[in-house]
Amino acid sequence: MDQSANTLTPAAAWQPLPAADWNEAAARHLLQRIGFSATPAELARVLADGPVKSVERYFARMPALPKPRQIANLETEGPEIYRNMASGNPEARRMAQQDARERSREALFDLTIKWLQLASRPENSPAEKWLLFLSDVWVVGVEKVKNAALIYQHQDYIRKFALGSAPNLAKLMSRSPAMVVYLDLQQSKPEAPNENFARELFELFTLGEGNYTENDIKQAARAFTGYRQRQGEFQFVQRQHDNGRKTVLGRSGNFTGDDVIGLVFQQKAAGTFLPKQMVSFYLSEDSLPAEQTDALGAWWAGEGHDLRKLAVKFFTSRVFFAPGYRDGYIKSPIQFYLGLVQDLGLSVAPLPRQLIGSLRSMGQMPFDPPNVRGWVGGRSWINSATLSARRQLIQALLTPLNEDALNGDEQIEIAAAYADGISNFTLDQARLAEWAKLPPTDRARELVKRYVPDLVGTELERQVATFLERSAQHSQAAAATRAALATLLESPNYQLC
Amino acid sequence: MKNPAHLLPSTRREFLHYGARGIGLLAFSRFAPGFLVESAYAQAPAPEKDRSILVLVQLAGGNDGLNTVVPFADPNYRRLRPTLGLPEKDLLKLNNALALNAGCAAMHGLFQDGKLSIVQNVGYPNPNRSHFRSTEIWETGSDSNEFLPTGWLGRFFDNACSGTPKGGDPCGVNISNEVPQSFLSEHQHPTFSLAAGRNRRQQSENLALLEQMVQTPAGHDDHDNAGYLRHTMMDALVTEKKFQKVLANYQTKAAYPGTPFGGSLRNVAALIAAGTATRVYYVSLGGFDTHNNQLNTHAGLLKQLSEGLAAFQADLEAKKLDGQVLTMTFSEFGRRPSENESRGTDHGTAAPLFVMGSRLKPGVHGTAPKLDVARNQDLQYTTDFRAVYSTVLDQWLGCKSSAILGQNYKPLGFV
Repeated sequence: MDQSANTLTPAAAWQPLPAADWNEAAARHLLQRIGFSATPAELARVLADGPVKSVERYFARMPALPKPRQIANLETEGPEIYRNMASGNPEARRMAQQDARERSREALFDLTIKWLQLASRPENSPAEKWLLFLSDVWVVGVEKVKNAALIYQHQDYIRKFALGSAPNLAKLMSRSPAMVVYLDLQQSKPEAPNENFARELFELFTLGEGNYTENDIKQAARAFTGYRQRQGEFQFVQRQHDNGRKTVLGRSGNFTGDDVIGLVFQQKAAGTFLPKQMVSFYLSEDSLPAEQTDALGAWWAGEGHDLRKLAVKFFTSRVFFAPGYRDGYIKSPIQFYLGLVQDLGLSVAPLPRQLIGSLRSMGQMPFDPPNVRGWVGGRSWINSATLSARRQLIQALLTPLNEDALNGDEQIEIAAAYADGISNFTLDQARLAEWAKLPPTDRARELVKRYVPDLVGTELERQVATFLERSAQHSQAAAATRAALATLLESPNYQLC
Repeated sequence: MKNPAHLLPSTRREFLHYGARGIGLLAFSRFAPGFLVESAYAQAPAPEKDRSILVLVQLAGGNDGLNTVVPFADPNYRRLRPTLGLPEKDLLKLNNALALNAGCAAMHGLFQDGKLSIVQNVGYPNPNRSHFRSTEIWETGSDSNEFLPTGWLGRFFDNACSGTPKGGDPCGVNISNEVPQSFLSEHQHPTFSLAAGRNRRQQSENLALLEQMVQTPAGHDDHDNAGYLRHTMMDALVTEKKFQKVLANYQTKAAYPGTPFGGSLRNVAALIAAGTATRVYYVSLGGFDTHNNQLNTHAGLLKQLSEGLAAFQADLEAKKLDGQVLTMTFSEFGRRPSENESRGTDHGTAAPLFVMGSRLKPGVHGTAPKLDVARNQDLQYTTDFRAVYSTVLDQWLGCKSSAILGQNYKPLGFV
C-alpha cells in the first residue's frame, strides 16, 4: 500500500486534509466512517462544507435521548421491586426477582429501539456512533448489570462528557452505578479490595497493557474502595474506603479514586490509548506507526484530553483520509443495519423481537457485549452464519411487512406508528415500481450508483444490467429490480465501507 | 434463464472433475471455498449419510394446547372455555379422554398409524410469559432465571460437529426469518438459512448474480478484507447453489399443501433425499398468538401444520427415508386455560408437543394437566421440556444429553 498513511511524517499526519484532496470519494469516506452511511443529502452538504466545518457541525453537541417510557417506569417501580426482592418470603422474593428481570428486559428493548431510532437520523449518526465507540471502551453489559435503567443511565453519563474532558468522563464512569455493579466495586472494601475495576481501568479503559504493574492495580484498587450504588444512585461510603497511603504509577499519597484517575491522565500512554482505540474502531484493523500515535497523544494531552478536539483533529486529518484506509473496513452489524435503514430511506421498526433477533444473529446485540473487552470487530463479524443473518435482514427490509405474522403487542406497536404517520419500515414498493420503469442499463446504473458507487462502470454493473434485461421480458421488472437490489446489498462490496 | 452461469462447481464431484481437466481452481485457492481446497487435497470420503436427522418445527406465538389436544371428557374444559370449547362431535378422538382439534385430521391419521406421539403438558418451572424470553428459554434450554449465550442445538453442534463438517454441508439449516437462537454455539459452525416456502426462480437468478459478483473482484479489491469476505461468501454460496439445485430438481409425489410451511417442509425433504450431511433442520410456522376470535384462526393454523407434516412424512416414506428422520414441534408457551373476553386466549404456560416419525413409540406420553384451576390461573407443567430434549439427544441424535443440558433428565420413552 504505497498510498498508505504510514509514510506521512508524524507532524504532517494530523494536519487537516489539503483542500485539493477533498472530493466526493473523500466525503463519502468521512460519512461512512464517522456515521453509518452516506445519504445523498448529507453527502451534498458535506461536500459543500468541507471536512472541518462538517465534523465541527456533527460534533457540536450530543443529541439528547429522552428517557424511554419503560425505563422511567422501571425506575419508578424500582423501590417497590427492591422491597419485594428483600422480603422474607422466599417465594415472594423469587417472584419479585423474576418480575424485575422481566421489566428490565422490556425496558431494555424500549431503550434499544429508541436509541436506534435516534441514531438512524443522519444528522445524529456521527455523534451516536461516537457514543457507541466510547461505550465500547467504557464497557458495561446488561447481562451482569441486569437493570436496564442503569444501562440507560450509563449511556447518559457517557453522553454528558462524550465531547468534554476524558478525565472527567473517567471519573464519572467510576461512579456509574452500572459500572459499580459490572466490575464489582460494590463488593470492594478495605480488608478485601476488589481489583476488577482497577485492572480494567488501566488495561481496557485508559492506558493499555504494559503501562502499569500488578502492584499499581493492587494499590489503585484500595483507592476505589467504598464506591457503592443503591437503586441506581452512587454513594461513597467513607467507612468502607481505605484512606491509607498508596503508591500508584510511581507516586505516593492518600489517594482517592479521583486522584488515581488524575495520575492515569498524567501518563503518556493515556494520550495515545484512546487514539489507538479510534484507529481500530474507525479506520483499520492494523495499528498506525507508533510515531504517529505518539504525536497525536502528545498533542491531545496538551489539549487537556478534550474529546471533541480529539474527534475533530482525527476525523479531519490526512491520516484519516489516506487512500490506503479507504473502502476496506467491515461494517459492524449495527452499522450494517442502520446503514441499510438510511440507504433505503426507512424508519427503525418498533419490533424488538425481529430487530434484536436480527442484530443478535449478526453478532451484535446492543448493550450486551460479549465481555468487558467489548466487541472485537473486523473479520470476527463475518462467518457463514452471520452472513446468512445479514442476507435475511436485507430480504426482510425489501419485502413488505407481514402484519399477520406479528404478535398481538407487535401489532399494537405498528398500529401506533401508523397513527403517527410512520410506515416506512420496509422498502417503498412504489419506489421499486418507479425504478422498474427505467430501461435495464439505466436501472443498473441507478442502483449501483446509489448503493455501491465504487462499482459504477465496472463489469459488475454490466452483470446487473444483463440480469435486469433477462427479466424484463417476463413483466416481472419490479421483482427483478428487488432481486438485483438485494444482490447488490448482499455483495461483498456493500459489507465494506 | 435456462442455463445459469456455472462459475463455481456445486459439488465435490464436479470440482474434482474440473481439477482433473486441469482447469485449476486451486490456482485461486486463496479465495476458494475452504472445503473445496481441503477435499481436493485430501480426497476425503463422502459424508456419512445414514445418520439420524431432527426436524424441529417452531409454532411461534404460543400454541393453545387445550384446543389442540383437547381434554374433552374433563368438565373443567367446558367451564374454562365457555365459547371456545370445541364440541365433542367435531373432535378427532385419541382415547376416551383426549381428542385432536378438527384441523388436525391428517395428524390424527398419523396417530392411528403409530407415527405420531404426543408429549403432554410440557413446560418448565417458574414460567415466563414474554414471547421473547420464553422462546429464549426454550431455545437455549436454560432455567427460567438463567441466561445462556448458546442454544441447545448449537451446543449439540459444538459436541457433534468438530472441525469442518464433511462435504461442506452445514450443521444446521433453518427455514425461518432469522437464525434461531437454538443454533447459537460457542464454536463456529456453518449453518444455513433458506427463505420460507418454495424457492422461486427469481431467487436462484438472484443467486447466480450474487455468485458473479463474488467472482468478479471489483471496487475494493486491493483489501484483504474484501478477499476474506469473498472467500467466506463463496463458501456459503457453494452450499446455497448446491441446495438450490437440489430444491429445483426435486421430484415428489407427496401432496404438500400450497402454504409456505408446506413448501418449507418439501424443501427439507428434498435436502434430506439428496443425502445432505445436515442433521438438524429448523422450520417455523407463525401466527399462534391468538388473543382474539381464535377458533377459526387456530384451526386453520393446525390444519397447515397437520397437512404439512403428513405430506412430509408420506414423502419420506415413499423415499424410504422415514426411518432416518424425527420431527418435533415446540412453542414458547401454551395459553391460559380460561378464555379471555375477546374469544381468544392470553399467554400461558405448559402445552403438549408433537413428535412424528416411523421409529418412535407412538401414543400419548406424560401426564395431562390438571384443569381444576381457578379463573385465569395457569397450568402447572408436568414434563420439563429439557426432558424432551434429553430424550431426543440421547435416544435419537446419539449425543450425550448431559453435556448439552448440564444435567440428566429422565428419558421419556417416545423414541
